[in-house]
Amino acid sequence: MSISRRGVLAWPALAVLPALSKHAMAAETVRIGYIEALTGNAAAAGQSIKQAAELAVEIINTPHPDLAPLTLAGTAGLPNLGGAQVALTWADNQGSPAVAASDALRLITQDHVIAMCGAYQSSCTLTSSAVAERYGIPYLAGESAAANLTERGYKWFFRTTPYGPDFAKLYLDFLADVAKGGLATGRIAVVHENTDYGTSVADSMVSTAASRGIKIAQRIAYNANGTDVSPQVLELKKGNPDVIIFISYTSDSILYLKTMKTLDYRPPIVIGDDSGFSDPSFIKAVGPIAQGALNRSAFVPGKPDSITYKINALFKKRTGRDMDDTTARSMQGLFVLCDAINRAGSTKPEAIREALVKTDLPASQLLIGYKGVKFNAQGQNILAYSLMIQLQGESYVPVWPADQASAKLELPFKGWT
Amino acid sequence: MILLQLVSDGLQLGAVYALFSSGLTLIWGMMNVMNFAHGQFVMLAMYVAFFCFTLLKVGPAFFVPLAAVGLFGFGVVVYLLLVRHVMRGPMLAQIISTFGLALVLQYSALWAFSANFVSLPTTLVGGVYDLGGVRLSAARLLAGATAIALTAGMHLLLTRTDLGSRMLAVSEDRVAAALVGIRPDPMQALAWGLGAAATGVAGGLIALFFYVSPDVGNSFTLLAFVTVCLGGFGSVPGALLAGLVIGVVESFSAYWLGPATKDVVVYGLFVALLWVRPQGMFGRA
Amino acid sequence: MIPLRRAWPVAVLVILAIAPFLTANPFYQRVAALVVLAAISASAWNVIGGYAGQISFGHSIYFGIGAYASLLLFGRFGLPPIAGAPLGIVASFVVSLIIGPPTFRLRGHYFSMGTFAIAALAEILVVNWKFAGGAIGLMGPAMPRSLADLLFRNSLPYYAIFLAVLALLLALTHLMQRSRMGFYLRAIGAGERAAESLGVPVQRYKLYALLISGAFTALAGSLYAVMIGFVDPESGFGILISVNMVVIAALGGVGTLFGPLAGAIILVPLQETTNALLGGSGTGAAYVAYGLIIMLIARFSPGGLAELWPLINRNGRRRAA
Repeated sequence: MSISRRGVLAWPALAVLPALSKHAMAAETVRIGYIEALTGNAAAAGQSIKQAAELAVEIINTPHPDLAPLTLAGTAGLPNLGGAQVALTWADNQGSPAVAASDALRLITQDHVIAMCGAYQSSCTLTSSAVAERYGIPYLAGESAAANLTERGYKWFFRTTPYGPDFAKLYLDFLADVAKGGLATGRIAVVHENTDYGTSVADSMVSTAASRGIKIAQRIAYNANGTDVSPQVLELKKGNPDVIIFISYTSDSILYLKTMKTLDYRPPIVIGDDSGFSDPSFIKAVGPIAQGALNRSAFVPGKPDSITYKINALFKKRTGRDMDDTTARSMQGLFVLCDAINRAGSTKPEAIREALVKTDLPASQLLIGYKGVKFNAQGQNILAYSLMIQLQGESYVPVWPADQASAKLELPFKGWT
Repeated sequence: MILLQLVSDGLQLGAVYALFSSGLTLIWGMMNVMNFAHGQFVMLAMYVAFFCFTLLKVGPAFFVPLAAVGLFGFGVVVYLLLVRHVMRGPMLAQIISTFGLALVLQYSALWAFSANFVSLPTTLVGGVYDLGGVRLSAARLLAGATAIALTAGMHLLLTRTDLGSRMLAVSEDRVAAALVGIRPDPMQALAWGLGAAATGVAGGLIALFFYVSPDVGNSFTLLAFVTVCLGGFGSVPGALLAGLVIGVVESFSAYWLGPATKDVVVYGLFVALLWVRPQGMFGRA
Repeated sequence: MIPLRRAWPVAVLVILAIAPFLTANPFYQRVAALVVLAAISASAWNVIGGYAGQISFGHSIYFGIGAYASLLLFGRFGLPPIAGAPLGIVASFVVSLIIGPPTFRLRGHYFSMGTFAIAALAEILVVNWKFAGGAIGLMGPAMPRSLADLLFRNSLPYYAIFLAVLALLLALTHLMQRSRMGFYLRAIGAGERAAESLGVPVQRYKLYALLISGAFTALAGSLYAVMIGFVDPESGFGILISVNMVVIAALGGVGTLFGPLAGAIILVPLQETTNALLGGSGTGAAYVAYGLIIMLIARFSPGGLAELWPLINRNGRRRAA
């Protein structure tokens, strides 16, 4: 413990005094660089992720037998490295791709990290992982969902999170199932913010739907920093779709719900694609008028004796908030990376990379609802998975598929009373 | 029906822009200072509203005046400590100093209040009026009415009162004003205070129906700059009209052309208008 | 014997040329390259914004054009990104010829806002332009295919290239300063109507300045894209790109040969070190520190750093008055 604490406290000085950093590395601390959106547009999400990752490090570094069989929870540190402690070095990408690349270089060459995680915005993940690729440092993306990240043929890049096409399949499967119950789901509207996140998920949605012979009825792109969404809501009201899928960040999600209430528009089915709808501030701000909103999530707190429940309790004790899908996905990414380092039994990047390639974690060792973790040749986790959750009261509850549901699906969308 | 709803939404939005820009008009128009920290002033006022509500459980009748008074003081302090000194330099010095101030304010807020989005309950001023199918939100109506009142008040102050004439005199020519016995410093400090106070009112009211976060000001700032410029620097009624025009144009173009391209129309019209009238709608040539 | 006045610019360049080789630290070397890159775009902005006094808030349009030209040629035609640099420069000339004459009718703040609106328009158009990657942006080569891709792990080659471009730009600016054009531009900057009445062909010379300024800004954009290997609408055309050029030039001292370079030498390492030291805490302290420092500089030296150091700017006192 004392080692890792000294490491953490000493790091700011290291950033400008590279000569000193060799002393810190003399200890057997395993240093991982984490690039995150700590300021800028996505700061709210980035800050939560930082808290979650710090909790993950605590779980890894100190024994938590009650959390077994979660990987590395039962032991102190990384057993195959003589119980070495894990320490994170944080860097802020400021929401800028160029800053993220600078961060990556600094983490690799100054802080001598042996592996990296990050970087929330797909654009920042893209530039920072390119630096890691050039230096031969393993890079694990637990959050970024843009499809092109794993299409680059990189050797050192791995992604645990599901991405665009996975989400599209989930929604279409869900809607097909709902349709069996008699509710119309044929006319789908996709409303998405127009930067890389919204555009790429919407593109996946359109192409996946097309492959099943479904035509997206309305597609509305908008600017997430906009000040007013009334025209979009009016357009939806006029188009009157059966289903609206919002691919939105937090601020715009809040505005949509407020405006829908003002204009008294209740579409039959409302799906929010994670980000904005999952943000705890969304629930706090507009939860009472968003009752019945659906969302995807790979994380569900579950029953009081489950691992997920206990981890959520630890997180809540630290932060006063519940975990959400985003924080859980990042945490899971970090666990997968540390597991690979442990299996490698070495801090050599090449050994870690080989261990990552061989990763084959069963669902029982995860804290998140993936069916497992196993990477394909592009580095994409092929067992990533999410389920559908619904806002009922003050929290989301799993409602689909039926075998994992803890509450009954309530349709149509109720909104407010 | 949709047409009427679009017009009314556009006017309501435009009123918000006008409200947001009112303080900027005064500071920019009166003193020829481009205040890059304007959005952050509004953000501070929104947090005043939020904390008044959550900690003191008081409504807008209390926190809007409080935000106005608080921001007045803050504006005067900013003038005395910063702006007064940079005004002797070129226009660029004002730009970088207020840009620095904007960073300091926004990220101090991030530090103090965290990056989380917060929001006042929609029920605080939450009524919705249904006028034959056109739906009007009470909070936005209140914002609109205040924008008009504020504009009228500032316009009267500047054109009908002795104080206003003195402020205008200083803005026209500092040296000449000093020669006829008007001390420029207090006048300009007052202008900053009043501009900031108007900003405080705007922030308090916008918080009623918008979210609050450290970077909330950025969503409005660029459009506020365009609003003030479109109206013509220094023209208070011009900014009101410009705000309304932009609101309606945005509302219609977002509906017809799609929200992602609505700003094309706004900026395109702005550029076109400058081409025809290089001094804005109501500016002095 | 060379008089001191002539020798010191050479000394500055010599020091710059060897500085990054004194450290083996890759991060410092990268910061050094970024300093020179920022100095190129700020010095380019300085030609129209400083000498001619036309405060443009739309220079990101040139930066974006350069960056996109590079990565479009790579992405669509498989050419090395640097091949886009000449294309970007040609495109910048076209843009200057289109936007120059109408915006030059605007004075003061109206010019600033007009140029800003045009750049904002460009950003929105690129977001909706599928061929150029839309909102998702464009990538450079992941791995170097040949030396022509200019993809290096080490930042020193970038530093050398950037420095050569900067030296060229500063040499041109220096020549311009001493020529009739420099005299005309300063007259325009001091007061357009007065310059007109003196017989200065105001519109024509403003256009010349914009052409030079835009071309070098586009070149800076291309170099940025080559080094970073990625551009999206915000990192190419965003308002912050323009603001950064203005702030760097203004901080160093506008209308002076070395002012923008001085601004970049102070500001870029300041951004990078505040982010390195304080960014990881996630509190935003990096920005607070950065904001405070530029505020203080503006407060105590409104004419920019050039005002403090007459050596940078022999006309310093007159300009600050």
